[in-house]
Amino acid sequence: MTVTTSLPAPGRALRRPGSGLAGGRRRAGYLFVSLYVVLLVLFGVAPTAYALYLSLTRPGSKWAGLHNFLATAHDYRFVPALEHIAVYLLVWLVVLVVLVLLLALLLHGGIKKLVPVFRFLFYIPGALAGSASVLVWLFMLDPPISPWHPVESLFHLSSLPQVVEPGHLPFIFAMIAFWTGAGGWIVVMNGALNNISDEVLESARIDGANAVQVALRVKLPLIRKWVVYMVILAFAAGTQLFVEPTLVSTASFGEVSQFWSPNQLAYYTAFTEANFNYAAAISVDLLIVCALVAGLLVFRSKLFEIE
Amino acid sequence: MGSNKDRASIHRKGAGVIAATMAFTVATAGATGASAAAPRRGAASEALTIWVDSARLPMAKAYAKTHPGVDVKIVTFDGGANGDGSIESKVALFNRIGRGWPDIIFSEEANDVQRLAAPQFQNFSAVLNKGLVPDKVLSGYAKGALYPCMVGGKLECLRNDMAFDVLWVNMPLMKQWGYTVPSTWQQWQAIGESVAKNHPGYIVGTAGDSFDDSIYLQAAQCPVNEVVNAYTVLDNPNDPHCTRMGKLLDPLLTDKSLPVVYSLASTFGKQYANKTLMLIGPAWYSGAIFEGTGSEFNSPKGTWAAYPPLAWGSPTARAFTGDVGGGLWIMSSHAANPKLTAQAMTWLATSTTSQDLSQGYPGYVPAARSWIAQQDKSQFFAKPLAPTFAKAVGEVWTGWSESQWDVYGLWASNVLPNLASGSTFSSQIPVLASQISNAAAVAGFQVVTKR
Repeated sequence: MTVTTSLPAPGRALRRPGSGLAGGRRRAGYLFVSLYVVLLVLFGVAPTAYALYLSLTRPGSKWAGLHNFLATAHDYRFVPALEHIAVYLLVWLVVLVVLVLLLALLLHGGIKKLVPVFRFLFYIPGALAGSASVLVWLFMLDPPISPWHPVESLFHLSSLPQVVEPGHLPFIFAMIAFWTGAGGWIVVMNGALNNISDEVLESARIDGANAVQVALRVKLPLIRKWVVYMVILAFAAGTQLFVEPTLVSTASFGEVSQFWSPNQLAYYTAFTEANFNYAAAISVDLLIVCALVAGLLVFRSKLFEIE
Repeated sequence: MGSNKDRASIHRKGAGVIAATMAFTVATAGATGASAAAPRRGAASEALTIWVDSARLPMAKAYAKTHPGVDVKIVTFDGGANGDGSIESKVALFNRIGRGWPDIIFSEEANDVQRLAAPQFQNFSAVLNKGLVPDKVLSGYAKGALYPCMVGGKLECLRNDMAFDVLWVNMPLMKQWGYTVPSTWQQWQAIGESVAKNHPGYIVGTAGDSFDDSIYLQAAQCPVNEVVNAYTVLDNPNDPHCTRMGKLLDPLLTDKSLPVVYSLASTFGKQYANKTLMLIGPAWYSGAIFEGTGSEFNSPKGTWAAYPPLAWGSPTARAFTGDVGGGLWIMSSHAANPKLTAQAMTWLATSTTSQDLSQGYPGYVPAARSWIAQQDKSQFFAKPLAPTFAKAVGEVWTGWSESQWDVYGLWASNVLPNLASGSTFSSQIPVLASQISNAAAVAGFQVVTKR
């Protein structure tokens, strides 16, 4: 008869759950996240649940099934709003990823002494409040008062009605979004690049890689997860586009529609037409799209796997 | 545009929850409008909450000053400017929570009462012609002035000011170039073509505003937005009254004597203060465009004069004109003291003390006489406004309805971009009609092309 006795792993028998150093750390962890969890439930989970409830009911809390989703999908404003945001996202995400990475890599590979200066310069536009920075752009766009008037003249743009034509809007909003939001991401990517060990970079150089090869074949793959993270949040923010078209709509005396983006349409439906159920359905549409895209990117990139 | 830079958590599984939650939160955050809500104070029967835009603030203050026995709380907001729906948004929210409604609201949008008449707003506007406002007060209004307030047979607001269009003329320039002030649309068009040829860069009007549909199509009696009965709208862009105006304007758009620019943008004065021979526009252009340091042109005294609306074809033909807005006073059906509220609103809308402070031509005739006398006292304009305004106020074409949908908004977002990129006016009338048809259908209206 063989008696097998397994010994506890080092430390396990000595540290019961909830006691000692590990327990203390765990409690501190719970304490630190508790406030966030409370706010998350109050301002994240609860409104989401309420939106889901509204989207599936009619006024008076009667069950509506998918009626609100079908009715809003047939609204003549819904498909154009989706088209607008799709084109905008295409422009915005491509510009964001390409330029942020390019500038971050240039920053990282540049003269070390100048890095803090450029990092600060990139960050400045992002320090402005969102709506204030959009207002700055309104001045930049209006030909009679714009400092870029000579450039606009090259494109035969002499008045604001011409500048804010529908075909220009995705590019205008992408420009505004890049100017206001990309600086922060450049700083983040610079931080990610700084985490790459010097030994890895040195090894690449010893193996004969030039600066471009180091950037494309070594640095980029190592910050891939950060890029995915940026795309997830930028996609979510992009689909919710609201401030830019709303302010440009006001400045253009309505030439840009009040329901240019789906988020604007949801707002208009809720608060001008007082149809909260339809608005909730549009919001849930956006939620599903964002969640699907985020999920796809997370699983394809193995974003949260610890290496 | 939000951007999260939570670097520390990126490699932790917990970040998945954060990222997903952010996506969920932003996806459901459709409603972020700032609230100007005035919580109802106590149960004092002599208390009133009045919401006004900044332009009407002096009127509300005058009421508070002349009625010291009433506890008046004044809240300023944007007045629902440019159809932004701020009034509807607040009413919808108050309806949901069952409290918080103001007693009186001033609206800059002439169609706000029609919007609030939609079932989902739960009869917010009080009915005034069933005893709340005396008939003798209502009969003092100019013909057609209360038309935007009528919902079925019920009167649901009091008009503040009228916004009929007139012909504004730069008199020194007109004299210098030897033109005669036109009295028909055709004469005006001929001058426009002559100006484009002989004085390039000068203009005889504009075509870049959201309300140009009203200035040109309403004046032409074009039936694209006539609510003929409850839930039926007449919308026929092929009517000869529509097409004739399109043909008249097309050459002026081509030769740039009618440019596609916003007349209310701060840049309009910079570009055209010294390049404008004529403008066709509302009575309130007097203050908005011509007179005073806050106006677009800030013109010298004696430069501008107002002439009556243009007739079609013959100077002796009956002229019709458009109506660009005009504010409304709306009373809440939830007012705790309906009698006091109705009296206060009547004072604001009709008393000379209040209306002398109005920025536009009052809809209430006795107040209008006092107001226009005040305006003409300064002798800023080259000839008195009173005769022209008195004539124009009765020439507004009532076949252009105020409706639940925002026709100005539809024109601005669907037609203006096309005009700016070179489309003809004629080609855009069906575009507007199509948008009206869509919007009317969403509001539950049947669209017809014949009466």
